[in-house]
Amino acid sequence: MSMNTRRIRAASIFALILFHPLVSFSQDQCRTCHESIEDPRALAFAADIHASNGISCADCHGGDRTKEDMEEGMSAGAGFRGVPVGDAISDVCASCHSDASKMVHVYKSTLPLDQVEALKASVHGQQSVSGRSRIAQCTSCHGAHGILPRSNRKSPVHPANVPTTCARCHSNAGYMTAYDPSMPVDQYQKYRSSVHGKLNQRGDSKVAECASCHGSHDILAAKDVRSKVYPINLPATCGSCHADAVYMRGYGIGTDQLKEYSKSVHGVALLQKHDIGAPACNDCHGNHGAVPPGVESISKVCGSCHALNADLFSKSPHKKAFDTRGLPECETCHGNHEVVRTTDQLLGVGKEAVCAWCHKDDTKSRGHIVAATMRQLADSLADAEDSAQRLLNDAEQKGMEVGEARFAARSIRQARLESRTKVHSFQESQFRDVVEKGLSAAKDVSAQAEEAIGEYHFRRWGLLIASFAITLLAVSLYLLIRRIESRQRAK
Amino acid sequence: MTESTAEKVQEERRDLLKWLLGGSLVAWIASVAYPILAYLQPPKQNEVAVQSIKAGKLSEIELDSGRIVKFGTKPVILIRTNTNELKAFTATCTHLDCTVQYSKEKGIIWCACHNGQYDLTGRNIGGPPPKPLEEFRVLIQEDEVLISKNT
Amino acid sequence: MKTIWEKLYKWIDERVDLADLVEFMGKKYVPIHRHSIWYYFGGVTLFLFLIQVVSGILLLMYYKGSEDLAFESIQFIMSKVQFGWLIRSIHSWAANLFILAAVIHMFSVYFTKAYRKPREITWLTGMFMLFLGMGFGFSGYLLPWNELAFFATKVGTDIAGAVPIVGKPIMVLLRGGEDVTGATLSRMFGFHVAIFPGIFAVLLGIHLVLVQRQGMSEPIGHSESGGDLKTMPFFPNFLLRDLLLWLIVLNVLAILAVLFPWELGVKADPFASAPAGIKPEWYFLFMFQSLKYIPAEVLYIEGEILGILLFGLAFALWTMVPFWDRKSNFGQENKVVTYVGLFVVAFVIALTILGWTA
Repeated sequence: MSMNTRRIRAASIFALILFHPLVSFSQDQCRTCHESIEDPRALAFAADIHASNGISCADCHGGDRTKEDMEEGMSAGAGFRGVPVGDAISDVCASCHSDASKMVHVYKSTLPLDQVEALKASVHGQQSVSGRSRIAQCTSCHGAHGILPRSNRKSPVHPANVPTTCARCHSNAGYMTAYDPSMPVDQYQKYRSSVHGKLNQRGDSKVAECASCHGSHDILAAKDVRSKVYPINLPATCGSCHADAVYMRGYGIGTDQLKEYSKSVHGVALLQKHDIGAPACNDCHGNHGAVPPGVESISKVCGSCHALNADLFSKSPHKKAFDTRGLPECETCHGNHEVVRTTDQLLGVGKEAVCAWCHKDDTKSRGHIVAATMRQLADSLADAEDSAQRLLNDAEQKGMEVGEARFAARSIRQARLESRTKVHSFQESQFRDVVEKGLSAAKDVSAQAEEAIGEYHFRRWGLLIASFAITLLAVSLYLLIRRIESRQRAK
Repeated sequence: MTESTAEKVQEERRDLLKWLLGGSLVAWIASVAYPILAYLQPPKQNEVAVQSIKAGKLSEIELDSGRIVKFGTKPVILIRTNTNELKAFTATCTHLDCTVQYSKEKGIIWCACHNGQYDLTGRNIGGPPPKPLEEFRVLIQEDEVLISKNT
Repeated sequence: MKTIWEKLYKWIDERVDLADLVEFMGKKYVPIHRHSIWYYFGGVTLFLFLIQVVSGILLLMYYKGSEDLAFESIQFIMSKVQFGWLIRSIHSWAANLFILAAVIHMFSVYFTKAYRKPREITWLTGMFMLFLGMGFGFSGYLLPWNELAFFATKVGTDIAGAVPIVGKPIMVLLRGGEDVTGATLSRMFGFHVAIFPGIFAVLLGIHLVLVQRQGMSEPIGHSESGGDLKTMPFFPNFLLRDLLLWLIVLNVLAILAVLFPWELGVKADPFASAPAGIKPEWYFLFMFQSLKYIPAEVLYIEGEILGILLFGLAFALWTMVPFWDRKSNFGQENKVVTYVGLFVVAFVIALTILGWTA
C-alpha cells in the first residue's frame, strides 16, 4: 500500500466522520481483505473518485463492510448481491447519482442528476442486448473500479480519450453489425484525419470530440429530430464553438460562418423551411472527417448537388483559368457560407454583376462582350416572361379561360431555369439556344393571351350590337303598338 | 288637300316603320341565330376527358424512348423501357416544376434544369428533387396506349 | 309581298280553319285597371321557360352527365365551344330570373285572388309548375359537379331525409344511394332533362289552355264599382305588349350573361371537407334559414322535423287556398287571406335577407 493511497484513505475516513454520520466509524473490511489478496479491482478502486468520497464496495455490491468474517459480510442476510449484471449496473449508479438527497446534500456534488435517465432515453438506452439489457451501461464508458473525474487526463471520458472510448465499440464492425448494420464504422479513422481529430490527438481538449456534437448521456440517433446532429440542429451545434469568438480565439479562423450561413439560400432552406435536403455544415465540410474544401475541390463539393452546373463549369474555359490563378471555383462568384439566391443580376458587366471583376471593360476583351451579351439575352427572356404573364393575368382578370396558355407558359419558366444553369458553360452559343427556346415559347403564350383578350372585347362589342338590335326591335314594336291603337281609337 | 298630305305623311311613316320593323327583326334574328349556329359548330379540339388519355399507338413508340404527352393541363412522360415495359409518370419535376425527359444513355428520367434524376419507378435518386414522381397507370387496348390516373 | 302572305294564310286556313282561332282571339279582351301590370308576369315566366328549353337543349349537345366528365365538359363548353360561355351563362341567369318571375306571378295571383272559382285548376297547375321549377333549380344546380353544388345537394337531400317515415326512402331515391355520388349526378341529370320537362309540358299546356279559355281574371269588385269597363283586345294589343316586354327581358338577360358570367368554381371532391358558408340557391334560402332558428327539440319532436312538417303544411295550405277561401269565391273581399299573404311575403323576404347576410 503506497503512502498516497493511505493518505487518501485517511482523508476519506475523515470525510466519512464529517459527512456520513450514519456510517459508524470502522474499517472497510471489504477493501482490507480484497487488497490483501491483491484483487486488481480492489486495487483500482483505491484511486476511484468514489473511494475518495468514502463510498465502499458494499455500496454497490451489497453486504456488510463492517464484518471481519467473509462468510458473514458477504451473506445474503447482510444484503450481498455480488456483481451487478446488465441494467442493474446503471441502477446501482442511479441509486446515488439520480438522488438529490445524496448527491447534493451529502456529497455536495454539482453533477447533473439526470444522467442515468438521459442514458435510458438515449440511443444506447433504447437499443438492447438480446432484449435483456441496454447496450451501454454507465460502466461501459466510465469504467467500474477506477472511475476518475472527467477532468482527469486518464479518465476514459476526458476529451482526449473520448474518441478512443467510443471507438472501442463504434470501430468494431463485427460488434456494430449486431445493432445497426447500415452504420459506418470508419468515424474514428475519419475523425483522426480531420482538423478536430489531429488537434485532439495533440492534446487540445477544446476541439470537438464525439460528445461535443453527439452529446454524452443523451446521445440520439442522427436521424432523430431531437438529435444535436439532425440536419436542422447541426448548424447550431457547430456554431456553439465556431460562432463563439472567445472560444475560437487562437485558432485563427473567423466566427461569422453561422451568421452568414443562416442568411444564405442553404441556411434559409434548412433552418426556416426545414428542407432537410438543403446542405448543413457537414455536407460541404464533412462531418467526422471535417476539413475545409480546397480550391479545386470546391466544384466537386458543390457539384454533389449542383451536378449540372459543376459539370458545365468543369468543361468550360473557366476551370483552367480559375485553377491556375488559385481562385476557388464556385466560391469566387457565389461566395461560400453566405451563398445567396442567385438572380440575373449576377451575370453581365453591371454594378452587381461578377463577370467584370476579371473581364475588365475593354472593347477587345471577348469575355466582357460575351458577358454583356449573355446578360442581355437573360434580360430579354425575363422581360418576355413578364409580359407574357402580365397578358395572361390580364386575360384571366377579364374572366377568360387561359388554362392552355398557362400550360404553355411553363416552358418559358423552364427555359429561364435552364438558361441559368447554362450560364456555367460560359459559351454564348449554348446559352443563346436555351434562351431562344424560351423566347419563342413566350411569343406563343403572349399571342394566345392576346387572343383571349381580343375575345373578351369581341364579347363586349357583340353584346352592344345585339343589344342595339333588340332595342331597335323593341322601339319599332312600341311604335307599331302606338299606331295600331291610334287607329283603333280613330275607329 | 290637307287630308291627302296627312295621308301621305301617314303613308310615308308607315313605310318607314315597316322598314324599321323589318330591318330590326332581321338584325335581331341574326344576333340570336349567329351565336346559336356558331355554338353548334363542333370545336376543333377534341373534348376533354382527363381521367384517362390516349397517348398514341404502341407501334409508333420506339423501344427505349420516352415522350411527353398532355394529360389535361399537365404533362405526363410515357416511357417504353429497353425491357419493353411501359411506364408513365407526371413529367413535372418535383424540384422546380421543369418538365423531365427520358435519358437513354443512363436509363433514367432526367430533368435538364438542375440534373434531377429519377429511376424508372419514379423514385428520386439524384440531384435536387425532394420527392418521387407520381406514377400513372398504362393500359394497352389493341394497339392504343392509354394512360390513366393511379387510383 | 302581301299576296304571298295572304296566299300562305289562305292555304293554311283552308286546311285547319284559322278563321275560328282569329275570331276567338279577336273577341278576347284583357281588362284594364290599376293591377293590369301583373298580367304580364305570366308571359315573362313563359318566355324565360322557353329560353331555358332552348339553351338547355343547346347545352345538352356538349354536356356529359357523369362524375368524371361533368365538370370538365362544362369547362369545355365555356372555353372551347364558340359562344358556349354565353349559352351556359344565359341558362344559369334565366333559371334564376324564371323562378323570380314565377314567384312574382304567383303572389300577384294570390293577392288579386285570381285563383277563385272558376280558376282553381289554373292555380293548382301553376303551383305545381312552381314546385317543379324549384326542382329544376335543385337538380340543375348539381350538374356542373362543383364543390358548392355538391355540398348544397348533400345538405338539401339531408333535409329531405329528415322527414319521418318517408324521408329516408325519398333521400335514397334522390341520391341513388346512401350518399351523394356519381349516381346522384346521373339521377339529377335525368330529372332535369327528362322527367321534369315532361311533367312541366303537360301542366303548362293545361295552364295555357285554361288561361285562353277562361280569359283574364278581374279583381274582386272591379266589375261592379267601375261601371264603365275598360278593356284592350288580346290580339294584337296585349300580345304585342307582351312581346315588347319579352324583348326587354331578353336584353337584360344578355347584359347579365355577358357582364356577369356565371362562375364554374372548383370541381367537387367527395372526400374534401365542406367549404365554409355553403348556401342553397336563394329561393331555398328562407326555408334553410328558418330551420336554423327552430330549437333542437320542441315538445319531444326534433326541431328540424317539426320545421319540415310545418313547411310542408304551409305549402299544402297555400296550394289549397282556392278551396278554403270561400269568401272570395262568392266575390267578397277576404281580408284574412290578404293579411296571411302579406305575412308570408314579409317572412320570406326577411329570412332570405337574414340567410343571405348570414
